[in-house]
Amino acid sequence: MSAESVVDLSGIVQKFGRVTALDGVALTVRKQTIHALVGENGAGKTTLMKVLYGALKPTEGKVIVEGQERHFTKPQDALAAGIGMVSQHYSIIGELTCLENLMLGAEPGWTIPFANARTKATELATQMGFSFDWDALAEGIGPAQAQKLEILKLLWRGARIMILDEPTAMLSPTDADLLFAKLHELADSGTTIIVVTHRLPEVMDHCDDVTVLRGGKLIASKPVSETNPEELTEMIVGHSVDIPAPTPATPGAVILGVSGLTVKGERGDDAVKNVSFELRGGELTGLAGVDGNGQRELFQAILGLLPFSGSVALDGVDLTKKSTKDRLVAGIRLIAEDRHHEAVIEDWSIELNGVLGLHHTEPIRRGMLVSANARKEIGEAVTNRFPTKFDRVGQRFGDLSGGNQQKVVTARAFQQNPRLILAFQPTRGIDIHVSALVFQALKEQARAGSAVLLVSFDIDEILEHCDRVLVINHGEINEPPEHLRGDRQAIGRLMVGAE
Amino acid sequence: MIDPLVILFGLASIQGLTLLTSALTLSSPLILAALGGLCSERSGVVNIGLEGKMLGAACAAGIVGQLSGNPVLAVLAGIGVGTALSLLHALLTQTFRMDHIISGMGINALAVGGTSLIAKTLSNQLSGRMASFPIFIYWVAAWTAVVGIWWYLKSTRGGLRLNAVGNDPDKARQMGVNPVHVRLFALLWTGIFCGLGGTLIVTNAGSFSDEMTAGRGYIALAALILGGWRPIPTLLACLAFGFFEAINLQMQGQSFFGQTIPREFWQSLPYLVTLVALAGFLGKNKPPSGLGRP
Amino acid sequence: MNWRFALLALGGFAVVYFALVVCGVVPLESLAKMIQSAVGSPAGWRNTLRQATPLLILGAAVFVALRAGLFNIGADGQFVMGAMSGTAVALANPGPVGMVLGMVSGALVGALWALPAGWIKAYRGGHEVITTIMLNNIARVLSLWMVTGIMKDPDEQAATTKYLPTETLLPLIYREKALQINLALLLGIAAVIGLWFYLKKTVSGYELEATGGNPTAARFAGIAVKQVTLKAMCLSGALAGFAGALQVLAYEERFYGGFSGGVGFDALGVALLAAGSPIALLPSALLFGIIAQGTTALSLDGVPKGMSGILLGVLIIVFAAYRYRKEAARD
Repeated sequence: MSAESVVDLSGIVQKFGRVTALDGVALTVRKQTIHALVGENGAGKTTLMKVLYGALKPTEGKVIVEGQERHFTKPQDALAAGIGMVSQHYSIIGELTCLENLMLGAEPGWTIPFANARTKATELATQMGFSFDWDALAEGIGPAQAQKLEILKLLWRGARIMILDEPTAMLSPTDADLLFAKLHELADSGTTIIVVTHRLPEVMDHCDDVTVLRGGKLIASKPVSETNPEELTEMIVGHSVDIPAPTPATPGAVILGVSGLTVKGERGDDAVKNVSFELRGGELTGLAGVDGNGQRELFQAILGLLPFSGSVALDGVDLTKKSTKDRLVAGIRLIAEDRHHEAVIEDWSIELNGVLGLHHTEPIRRGMLVSANARKEIGEAVTNRFPTKFDRVGQRFGDLSGGNQQKVVTARAFQQNPRLILAFQPTRGIDIHVSALVFQALKEQARAGSAVLLVSFDIDEILEHCDRVLVINHGEINEPPEHLRGDRQAIGRLMVGAE
Repeated sequence: MIDPLVILFGLASIQGLTLLTSALTLSSPLILAALGGLCSERSGVVNIGLEGKMLGAACAAGIVGQLSGNPVLAVLAGIGVGTALSLLHALLTQTFRMDHIISGMGINALAVGGTSLIAKTLSNQLSGRMASFPIFIYWVAAWTAVVGIWWYLKSTRGGLRLNAVGNDPDKARQMGVNPVHVRLFALLWTGIFCGLGGTLIVTNAGSFSDEMTAGRGYIALAALILGGWRPIPTLLACLAFGFFEAINLQMQGQSFFGQTIPREFWQSLPYLVTLVALAGFLGKNKPPSGLGRP
Repeated sequence: MNWRFALLALGGFAVVYFALVVCGVVPLESLAKMIQSAVGSPAGWRNTLRQATPLLILGAAVFVALRAGLFNIGADGQFVMGAMSGTAVALANPGPVGMVLGMVSGALVGALWALPAGWIKAYRGGHEVITTIMLNNIARVLSLWMVTGIMKDPDEQAATTKYLPTETLLPLIYREKALQINLALLLGIAAVIGLWFYLKKTVSGYELEATGGNPTAARFAGIAVKQVTLKAMCLSGALAGFAGALQVLAYEERFYGGFSGGVGFDALGVALLAAGSPIALLPSALLFGIIAQGTTALSLDGVPKGMSGILLGVLIIVFAAYRYRKEAARD
């Protein structure tokens, strides 16, 4: 193993408006190593990598690659210098064949000698121990194959430094181990690999060096052999803050009853697998899990937006066959994940958005009409609930800042006597102070008799605010045993299916 | 659907050969326009402005053909105007990010108005048949172009990138392919093909008249959809539509087995078939996924 | 507002200017004359309002579809079918009964003619622009066939039906010298106000606009997006068919081949210019009425009818560049 460094980032500062995402971060990666970059969501890992592969121009700082200072303005520049990145969201076009995806943007010539290219592609794949049906459309391949194809795409382009963002997030444990075995081979044959991850076992078992970021700052960078999981955890999380013991909840009657719920995901596999649980009034329940483990599908099925098998009941009334409209009227509220697409109409006023989804509930609906008075009241209620910066309720919603939009969307879920609030990261983009208010409000709503289910990718958030914890992993929901309820590590292990 | 046998018998009973040549003649402008549409839509740009581009080209080719007496200039004028209108569509949809359909409608309106105005203004200087190449050349051009595009899509870098951009412009951009460049190039060809198509229409007629494309741009679009945005099936759809039109022209009031089929039936057949196809009853043809995306 | 848009607007104006120069008239003078002839005299107003009536209702038709996220290019065909059926019904029932039934049947047939497009869009995923263009063509062929066949007035050479008796026609509501206003205009205005009420006050209208604004968010809000799509298309067709029947009952007094003259396409411009507000259909339709009337007047100076197409195209393009841009993809 050589000590020669191939990547040298120093003093990297990245500002987005007033927010400082990276604050003087440095990163040194040695040649032919697997370097882990760890940190919690929002620690700045992805931002730092975007700087390295040219998707972001840093506000300040130096990028030195293989001894040369670089000023990348686009990913293609970085690629030309031998740096490539596989992002979490693959850039594979389903309508093209695997071979076409492999070559796109780096075709061998004006005309494409397909037979020749296929041979070369097969050679490349065989070297890595992969196998592909090159002429099959890429839409049919699973996440593991897609990951491999992305890696081959980088190799095809001659990348010598490879960045993988959460490469195992979508992979089964077996596939993940296989992937790392291949990464080792790659490193041995001359490639340098940076893995962005938050899974510590991967770091300990497979990586040579590790760099920890927290809150946009560099915390530590050292060989894996000189550290241990406990130390890493502490560096990632920071010195454990005293989490106030949650005020004891007094669980009331069962509000939501889910039994045997199975939901098909986008890829046709089961995203939620035969899940059964109950939510009681009075309790704020947290659903911990890594992004993409079925949270989305679970919520959409409960709201009747996705077909499912099994049953869903609210307040003892079976809703399985009911429409989304009926479920909303019955009192289910969703704080949707994707605000732009799922929650609001940006061209509309705040007031019009305020009743979206509530427009069949009395007294907003009066016979065939939408009551102007009720609409106005709701418009004021959704802007007053949390401190929201806006001019007037008739203002175009899309002109609000992201945080203020989220406040309105969150506030809307509290209107018209909700029985069940499904909150998908309700505080995204909201500053800490208001976030606390949101959690407070969710808890109060629960204490007032509603059931609240909170999806968060942040364990601490859940530990801090929730009365009860459920963990979702690969579409299966588990509840940690009584004595481990407050145990961060135990919940973390459940989240990644290590237990 | 019509039993193919009926058509065959019909063929035998009337002047079959004339019908066939007539069908070929009538389908050629459709083929050219449909190929123009194919270039555009495979790159993700919706193009309901085929009609306007052809009309503009027909007008330019007709007038230049009459004034100059030079067939080369006539064709160049047709291609020039077709291309100019197509690049206007590119400008509006790519630079101004205008809705593709509105842009197409606007260009159609401009073309209908503009050609009518120019033709009227120049009407006393125009006389006789325009100078033109024999129709045969356009047939060859159309058929060659089908094969050419088929090959281009299948085996070139440009074809691959066209496909990528048409299906997912954002991911294509991530892979270093500039969607705007690809679409500009595609729309350039749309202009050329529509230009040839319009020139052919005016060549058939001898001189320009208002709205002489008579909705062929829309029929071409229908053929493109029926053909599932693929060159060869699109060609077949165009041939079928040309055939319907030929039957319509030749069989006025002729009867099959004592049954009179009104010519209006043949006239609306392409539209009906397209409707049925869009309802998904003739197999699902998936449009390019990136169609209409900025 | 940026320099690119300013450049486009300037380019649009240059096209119109140049077109007028080509026609051998002084551009600014003739633009002034256009306006003068359309709104400068009672007779001008009469013609302008007559032109504006179908544009207003058809504009409303296209508008309501647009609010639901649909391009109803088929307003033209629905207009023709509405006019044809309205004529047939009114001819069969002379008198006020025929007048009312004619309007009703026009709206019904218009809705029916839009139905396939709405259904294919909502449940089969076929794009409404193509289906409505096809339906326009079928309407054209079908109406020609009818009007040269069973509906033809045997005493006439041309492809036309009999004239409606006077008692079946819509009455004038105002008549002073050359200025005449037909009840149809009032009905049109009523339709637009009704549309405003529907969209802005009713639950159904709220859901329609939500569907057009963001279909995914609408679905998340419990709105049955497919049904709304179908409903919007049929409502649009009903308005267009109603406009067709009115055109016969108020102005044309009969149905004939080539009835629409492309007015359904002008209506797209009317609806686009109205942007988000139904009430804005009134000035928008008036503007297009002025253009239609003005270019007719200019044709006396030798400016061909094509001028109106150029004005329409430029207006649509420039306005749409300003108002109907697509958002860039979000990362």
